Amino acid sequence: MIPLFAVVRVRNRRRQNIRLWLPLFLVWLMLLPLVLLLLPFAVLACLLIHMDPWRSISGSWQVFAGLRGTHIELANAEHHVLVHIF
Amino acid sequence: MNENRREILEMLASGKITSDEAERLISAIEDDKGVPSGASLNAEPSSKPRPKYLRVVVEDTRRNGEPTQVNVRVPMQLLRAGVRLASLIPADAQQHVDSALHRHGFTIDLGQIKPENLEELVDQLSDLTVDVDDSKSKVRVFCE
Repeated sequence: MIPLFAVVRVRNRRRQNIRLWLPLFLVWLMLLPLVLLLLPFAVLACLLIHMDPWRSISGSWQVFAGLRGTHIELANAEHHVLVHIF
Repeated sequence: MNENRREILEMLASGKITSDEAERLISAIEDDKGVPSGASLNAEPSSKPRPKYLRVVVEDTRRNGEPTQVNVRVPMQLLRAGVRLASLIPADAQQHVDSALHRHGFTIDLGQIKPENLEELVDQLSDLTVDVDDSKSKVRVFCE
């Protein structure tokens, strides 16, 4: 399953919290026409460099789907940044 | 390690039983559980959950003495997908990647990693724990 939401939380030195819920599924919906448009070119590029287009596309999809559950958190005395992908 | 096995090893360590007796007792326990008698003493039960995430935790106080913490959790699914994608790299590019890895001391050929090896690799990662400690920084890599 592809990532549907991302949470980005930033806390600055003045302890101000910014918390954003990013609806990634809307981004994917918006990008879908572009992806469909670029797909034939991607297949052509794969064929030109002797890569299996089907395996390349499925591999890329798996990487994309694998992003779900990724958690990145950085904190020091002044800042705290958190990114979590659901 | 289960309780019975631990007791047997403690009895062996304290000299209450001989190594032959310990081996027989462990074999008897394994037979009761349906585990092959030739299995390693260190083998964990097969029901051990597979790791889902690779965690990297870094604590550093080098900069101004203030602690900086990094906490990254990478899904195993992403690692699997990444290695699979790496195996698709064309042969020409693969040579460049391999030579770059060799230059940095990694004698590994990514193209040789097959899906079955990959699963084995990920299974073995469950036992991986890397701890690096010094006075000002601490790095921990483990699976959960």
